[in-house]
Amino acid sequence: MAIPIPMATGCRSSSRWSMVSLKSALPPLTSAASSIKLPCRHRTPPRIRSPQLVRSFSSLSLVNPLHSLGFSDMSSFGENFTIIDNGCRFYAMRHGRRVPKLNRPPDQRRALLRGLTTQLLKHGRIKTTRARASAVRKYIDKMITLAKDGSLHKRRQALGFIYEKQIVHALFAEVPDRYGDRNGGYTRIIRTLPRRGDNAPMAYIELV
Amino acid sequence: MARSVGTLVVGGVIGDVLDMFTPASEFTVQYGSKQVTKGCDIKPSVAADKPRVQILGHPLSSNLYTLVMVDPDAPSPSEPRLREWLHWLVVDIPEGHDATKGRELVAYMGPQPPTGIHRYILALFKQEGAMEGRIEVADVRANFSTRRFASQNRLGLPVAAVYFNSQKESAVKKR
Repeated sequence: MAIPIPMATGCRSSSRWSMVSLKSALPPLTSAASSIKLPCRHRTPPRIRSPQLVRSFSSLSLVNPLHSLGFSDMSSFGENFTIIDNGCRFYAMRHGRRVPKLNRPPDQRRALLRGLTTQLLKHGRIKTTRARASAVRKYIDKMITLAKDGSLHKRRQALGFIYEKQIVHALFAEVPDRYGDRNGGYTRIIRTLPRRGDNAPMAYIELV
Repeated sequence: MARSVGTLVVGGVIGDVLDMFTPASEFTVQYGSKQVTKGCDIKPSVAADKPRVQILGHPLSSNLYTLVMVDPDAPSPSEPRLREWLHWLVVDIPEGHDATKGRELVAYMGPQPPTGIHRYILALFKQEGAMEGRIEVADVRANFSTRRFASQNRLGLPVAAVYFNSQKESAVKKR
């Protein structure tokens, strides 16, 4: 009986694996688990199911064989399969990761950064949190570099990123005069007083 | 005592409006109860009336000062076509007194930023002597140049400067 091991599907882009994939691959484990108090998982009413399902786990070699009975806390680190033997890097710490996550999922993060660059190009100076200001610098530099090139393809790439098309056309019109001599570093960040509601460190970011 | 001009450089005040200088005097600017510090935020409604500007020093000294208030981000920081917009011009302020003792050449106009966040710079120049009336006052406030004004009237480099930020208040009161 081949029970697929989710880790063999290779290192995902986040290089982390989750219990969800493991649980979805394995048969559901509600019998003994519900009878023993689990912290936050299954609130199903206690049901006594036949123990044959539990015995079917024997083909999967677990680090802790008692886990199949559901004794330990299912979300503890002690029972995870850290043997990812296809060569991908997996650190428990953040070493070397340079993408700012901004406490948002990837689609929201992209939308936030698009909105911030649109507003900064529209108003010239905005006030936002320090983390967002330093995250948006990269995208502003990209947009100004696209405008410096000026070709149709670059214009369409900029139109795909910035939300308002008048801003793109205005940007492509004025960037050669304004930033023609400057190589990079088109923004300036000035730190300022924290925000009153949540004491978040704030900053002004402006086009140089 | 000389304050460092680091904040002015970082804020772009030195470079856009003023040249590099070493602070030689000190002055305080106050809108009501709010003291203006470098780069602080002041609402246009608070700054609608002229501030209390006090030059620190010995009241019996014979130095006279000129105060200029400009906005380099008019009408918008991303397109400062009307750089700089002159808001206030007072000459012949005796040392140790406030700006009401001087001669106001251009009446005070409060900040009214139409879009974006604008910087408002108050620069203090030391005069060589009393200004007799050689000053040509432009009729329009737009496209003023502090550097040109200082060189035309032999004011040299500024002796002190302070700036604050202001943006249009939204109709709905923010948190």
